[in-house]
Amino acid sequence: MRFNEKELVLLSRQPSERAAELGMRGPKKGDVVKKRLVKLVVNFLFYFRTDEEEPIGALLLEQCRVEREDSQTFSIAFLDEAERKYVFECDTEEQCAEWIDSIIKASYEFMRKNLIFYRTEIHRLTGKDPLEQYGISDEARFQVSNGRPLPTVPFLWHFDSDPFM
Amino acid sequence: MKLNERSMAHYATCDSPPDKTGFLFKKGERNTAYHRRWFVLKGNMLFYFEERDSREPIGVIVLEGCTVELCESTEEFAFAIKFDCAKARVYKMAAENQAAMESWVKALSRASFDYMRLVVKELERQLEEIQEAAGGSFVGAGVGNLQGRPKSSKRNHMGRSRSGASSSSSSSSSISSSSSSVPPMSASFSAQKNQQDELQLISGPSKENGVAWSKPPAALANGFVEGASSCAVWESSGDPANVTGYGADGARAPPVPPRRKGASLESPVCPGTGCFSKLHDWYGKEVEELRVQWLQSQ
Repeated sequence: MRFNEKELVLLSRQPSERAAELGMRGPKKGDVVKKRLVKLVVNFLFYFRTDEEEPIGALLLEQCRVEREDSQTFSIAFLDEAERKYVFECDTEEQCAEWIDSIIKASYEFMRKNLIFYRTEIHRLTGKDPLEQYGISDEARFQVSNGRPLPTVPFLWHFDSDPFM
Repeated sequence: MKLNERSMAHYATCDSPPDKTGFLFKKGERNTAYHRRWFVLKGNMLFYFEERDSREPIGVIVLEGCTVELCESTEEFAFAIKFDCAKARVYKMAAENQAAMESWVKALSRASFDYMRLVVKELERQLEEIQEAAGGSFVGAGVGNLQGRPKSSKRNHMGRSRSGASSSSSSSSSISSSSSSVPPMSASFSAQKNQQDELQLISGPSKENGVAWSKPPAALANGFVEGASSCAVWESSGDPANVTGYGADGARAPPVPPRRKGASLESPVCPGTGCFSKLHDWYGKEVEELRVQWLQSQ
C-alpha cells in the first residue's frame, strides 16, 4: 500500500505526546527485544534507532488493543491480528502505566467518542448544541447518528445540510 | 519506513463508519493522467481504492500537517492536498461536480488529528465550566459522567514548531463564529498552517483525561472490542488517570495551577492563548475563501 512517507517522516519529527527509550520486540516469532526511541505523535507510534533521525517504522494506533503484560511491560496488538503483539519494556511500573494510558488516548476514534460524549452531555445540560456556534454541527465526523454506537443517546440530531454552513 | 500496513488496510475496510466516501480523480505520480479512484476518509487517513468494491486500498494519504486548496488545472473542480515539507508531494485531485468538490475540501481540511483534539478540548473545557457552575459534583444520566475533578496536568506543545503569529487573548466570554470578522487572506489559504501556529499557544491547559476510563484487569481496548460493533464503554472510575506530558527530551512538564472559577475564554493557565473561536475561524477561512472564489467565478 502506498503512503506519503516523506510527510510521515516529517510528522515523526514533531513535538510528541510522549517519547522514551524502551525495549521493543516485534510481533514475529524469534523477534528479540531491542532498544528503541519510541515516540508518540498524534495517532502514530514511531520507533527509531537511538540517535537516528529517521524512524525505522511507525504503527498507526487505530483499532488496536493495549495490554499490560507484566508490571513494566505492555503490548500493542491490532484488531485484525490479535495474536501478533508488539511488546514494549519500560523502566518502571509508573512509566508503563503512563504509556498505556497515552496510547489508548492516542486514537482518533477514541477522541471522536469523547467528542460525541461531550457534545451530547452539554446538549443535555444546556439544551444547546455546542458545535452549532462554530458552524460544524453537521459535519459527519461529529455525528451522533452515523452508525456509531454510543453510551447514551438522548437525541439524534438532524440538520439541513448546506454543505458550507 | 515500515508501517503496520495490513492493520491500516483493515482499518480502511472495517465496519467503523467512514467520515466520507466517494469517487475522485487523482493525478498520477509520474504521469499526468487523472485516475478515477474510490476514496474513503476515516479520521486523518484518506485511503484510495482502485474500485469501489476493491478489498484493499492501493494507498493512503496521512492528513496531518496538510492544507487543502483550490488549484489551477485543466480539470474542472480541482483541488490539491499540499504538505509543508521539502519536496513534498502535491496530491492533485478533481471532483465530479462543484458540490462534491466543496464537500471534500471541507472534510479534508478538518480531518487532522490536531483539529479533532482541539474541538475535544474545547468541549471538555465547556463541560467542566458547566459542571463547576452547577456546583461541583454533577450526576449525569447514564454512563460516562465525570466524577469529581480530574487532576490537572499540563501537556507539552503538540503543535508544529513553526514561528507564527501569536494570537491575542480574548477575554470575551461569548463565542462568535462569524467568519466575516476574519481578515481577508490571499488566494492560497493555509488554514491548517495557521491552526498549527495557533495550536502551540493552546498547549493544553485542561486535563488530559476528561473521561474516566475503566480499566479491566487484562486488556485495555483502544476503540477495539471483540464482536460486532466497536464501542467504547465508559464507566465511572474513582481514579482517573493523571497523565503528565513529556517532552521529547523526557523532561516532565510542571503541573498547572487549579482553574479559577468563572473562567473566561482565555485560558487561566496559559494567559495570552487564543480563544477557540478564533482558532476555529482559521478553519473556516478556507471554506469562506472557497465560497468567495466560486461566487466570483459565476
